[in-house]
Amino acid sequence: MDYPLASKPRSELLPGTLDMLILRTLSVGSMHGYGIAQHIQRLSKDVIQVEEGSLYPALQRMKLKGWLSAAWKKTPNNQRARFYTITAEGRRQLGERISAFDQALLAITRVMRPS
Amino acid sequence: MLRRLAVLLRRLRGRFGRAAQDRELVEEMAWHQKRLARDLEAQGLPPDDARHAARRKFGNTTRLREEVFDMWQLGSFDLLVQDVRYGLRTLRRSPGFTLVAVLILALGIGSTTAIFSAVETLLLRPLPFLEPERLMRVSLTTQPRFGNPASDDMIWSWPKARTFQAAQGSYQGLALYTDDRMTINTGEAVRENGEAVSAGYLATLGVRPSLGGDFPRDVDAAPNPTPVALISDELWKRDYNADPGVLGKTIDVDRKIYTIIGVMPAGFRGLSGNANLWVPILNRQPWVFDAQFDHSFVMVARLKPGVTPAQAITEAKLLGSRVDQAHLDRDGGPGGRMGATAMLLDGTRVDPRVRRSVLVLLGAVTFVLLIACANIANLFLVRARARQREIGVRLAMGAARRRVIRQLMTESVLLAALGGTAGVLLAWWGVKVLSALNPSQALGAQRLGGLGAVNLTEIGLDLPALGFAAGVTIVTGLLFGILPALKATGLSLTASLKEGSPQTGSGAARRGGAFLVVTEVALAVVLLAGAGLMIRSLANRMQVDSGMDPDRVLTLRLALPPGQTARDSLPGFYDQLLQRLAGVPGVTSVALGNCPPLSGGCNGTMIEFRDRPPVASGTTPDVGVHWVTPGWFSTLAVPITKGRAFTAADRLGTPKVVLVSATAARRFWPNEDAVGHLVAVGQGGFGDTATVVGIVGDVRFGILDSVPGAEVYLPYYQSPRQSMIVFLKTTGDPTGVIGGVRAAIKEVSAGLPAYDVRSMQSRVADASAQARFSAILLGLFACMALILASLGIYGVISFVVAQRTREIGIRVALGAVRQDVLGLIVRQGLVLVTAGSAIGVLAALLATRVLGTLLYEVTPGDLGTYVSIVALIVVAALVASWIPARRATRIHPMEALRTE
Repeated sequence: MDYPLASKPRSELLPGTLDMLILRTLSVGSMHGYGIAQHIQRLSKDVIQVEEGSLYPALQRMKLKGWLSAAWKKTPNNQRARFYTITAEGRRQLGERISAFDQALLAITRVMRPS
Repeated sequence: MLRRLAVLLRRLRGRFGRAAQDRELVEEMAWHQKRLARDLEAQGLPPDDARHAARRKFGNTTRLREEVFDMWQLGSFDLLVQDVRYGLRTLRRSPGFTLVAVLILALGIGSTTAIFSAVETLLLRPLPFLEPERLMRVSLTTQPRFGNPASDDMIWSWPKARTFQAAQGSYQGLALYTDDRMTINTGEAVRENGEAVSAGYLATLGVRPSLGGDFPRDVDAAPNPTPVALISDELWKRDYNADPGVLGKTIDVDRKIYTIIGVMPAGFRGLSGNANLWVPILNRQPWVFDAQFDHSFVMVARLKPGVTPAQAITEAKLLGSRVDQAHLDRDGGPGGRMGATAMLLDGTRVDPRVRRSVLVLLGAVTFVLLIACANIANLFLVRARARQREIGVRLAMGAARRRVIRQLMTESVLLAALGGTAGVLLAWWGVKVLSALNPSQALGAQRLGGLGAVNLTEIGLDLPALGFAAGVTIVTGLLFGILPALKATGLSLTASLKEGSPQTGSGAARRGGAFLVVTEVALAVVLLAGAGLMIRSLANRMQVDSGMDPDRVLTLRLALPPGQTARDSLPGFYDQLLQRLAGVPGVTSVALGNCPPLSGGCNGTMIEFRDRPPVASGTTPDVGVHWVTPGWFSTLAVPITKGRAFTAADRLGTPKVVLVSATAARRFWPNEDAVGHLVAVGQGGFGDTATVVGIVGDVRFGILDSVPGAEVYLPYYQSPRQSMIVFLKTTGDPTGVIGGVRAAIKEVSAGLPAYDVRSMQSRVADASAQARFSAILLGLFACMALILASLGIYGVISFVVAQRTREIGIRVALGAVRQDVLGLIVRQGLVLVTAGSAIGVLAALLATRVLGTLLYEVTPGDLGTYVSIVALIVVAALVASWIPARRATRIHPMEALRTE
């Protein structure tokens, strides 16, 4: 009678991609939700707009699974924000996601650009 | 799996901090919005627009919160809480139903748990010694011989045990022990249960004194070693105030001074289970050192690491013949009469009869529990009908069938939990009763085999018993819940929603109910058959003619300290004692004997016939040997059928005489008169020649079930003994003379404690105690089964009457009279009970075979028993269906039709 833990696709992203992006972002260092969204948007050159409506459930879900930990800290300009940190389990997940992603990418490329 | 657990734990934590979590999320998202708005403002948007844009971008925060909230929800747990709350409300709404169901369950679960406690204590609990599975009992064996079956648990003589010990290679420790009653003299003489042991006893069991040390090795080296003793924690606290300075103090045990060298840990009472004192065998019985055929000791041994029990058994069998060769028979013939074997000590923990009784009781009580389940399932079925509309509505509203079943099952498990709780209380009481019944009074009364250390005084509602109760509770809840839940939810929606269509689902419910009742009746019949057979056996045992009259006879034991009185002066002591006791007011006759009738077994030895050619070694017959004074036969009203009784003239120095029992006379002198023949008996100094001077009636000395054996009586005055049982015939209540008797004994010998003072009647009662214990409990369970089954029939017939109200009304309107209606309904009850009885009788014919040796002079297929129990259950069924049937006859046609 567990509730499904898999993310429901809400954005245009492939299922599970948001989790991977968040984990990758946090692998650089701990960050608050806003920072994560900004970071992804910036690196994707504004192509990927992280919806807050997907971001927070995703963060909670990964926290529940033990991939992230969260703590309230001060921001550089002295505001209170919840910072997320990737756990060892999260890093393991990230590794798995990346290799799965690479395979998928390769497969898609083969289909799209047959040599 | 572990990961899932971690998630569950995080959820659990979240579950209880759910409100805080939500607050945090709100705060976090508010801050996010503020930052977003600020950034948009920085890009040039007016402040209000920026705020609105940020909020728009965020979307519906409440929905987000809900999503996160659900994510942290403990799915099953929260549903369970809901179900439990709902279930409790439902149960509270029908207190009558709940009370009846809880009571039935409490009876079922409580009695099952109590009996399980007995099973656990007697059969399952590991022996209270170090690595008990490494402990073996090594025994001598005998071939089946004249009148006696083969036996593989014979005790050892000291020299034979030494021979075995020297030759064996399987054991790291090996010890001898025997229970021994001792008199401690601390100002006043007190009888104490103790054990005489060899040096390695404690080490073999793996027990160390909690204070002081173990016996030194050299207590086994030669007769009469330096006397040392160990005492129990109980004795230490009682007599020495738990003084650690007790070590080195002396204790007078049967006029011998022992130095206390240690105190045993609390709770340790030896293999006999009741010892307070341990002393070396060679102090107690120095003569056994070279008495090759004085078999008195049990051998226990601890396996060496790596040696399996099977290897040890093989070795023991092999060594048996070596022991025989080293200790040739008395008549100089080669050994071979005995061998040796070994078995796990745990295998000897209780007598096979006790094992069988408790297992039968466990089976019986399980039946009661099953009947209780069937009964409650029945109640649920009937009630489910009343709730059909509710369930129909819920299903129609889109509740999943699984969900509704779960809810109904929660209700039944909840009910079972209430019943289980009440049942544990009942079991707590039952266990107290069981422990009070024991040990000497019930199961241990008849010198049954088994270790004294395993007995019901150690019974308690411990963890295994409580775990068992919990398990049984859950299983019963599921068991009686599943059928009604499936039935209740398996109906068609439209039918159940239509008000006033009384036939709805009733066919199925009624069939379910009928099935349950037939099962109940069948189970009850099996139980009644078992109980009936046991009660008949008990009655047969009570009818057994013991060959003597126990009425108005008082018995007590006396034991002179070994070595204190010279053998030749014992007759003088007897004279004095008997004379004084005969003078006590209320005493009409007095005699000495060495072993009371029906005690479970007395001394035995071989008999040889001096006026016949000797028989081959190993074929000499066995006889029971008894010591009595001349008045013994008249005191117990045992007839002298031929020849003469002993007289005062048969004393030390006169020609030796014996009396033989009727069975002995018939067996050994089938075609001639036994009187005048010459015999030799291997005990009491009668190994040379004695003359048979008379034949006496058979007395049962063994258990009630055994036939009287061949017995030989020796006169105390020609073969004096240190220990004796005094038999006193009195004019009134035999216990009324106890005071006078004690005073008289004190006059004769001040330091001689009289113990085991009891009426002969109570000894006779002991003889049937174990049979009574089983029969009464089984009878009790059968009664419960009968009542429950009747309740079941009543319930189903009531239901039928309610169902057929309209039909009956029409019948009455069409002219059916009272008898017709009565017959119509009662017939239904009879059909159920007939089907149930038929199945039950067949099952009982198979099931009662397990009673086997517990039965006495009644076969498992005893016709009388079966006829009476079927009659009993038919009468019960008639009563149970007659009550609702009478209600049916009062149905008024108009009312019946109006119930539409």
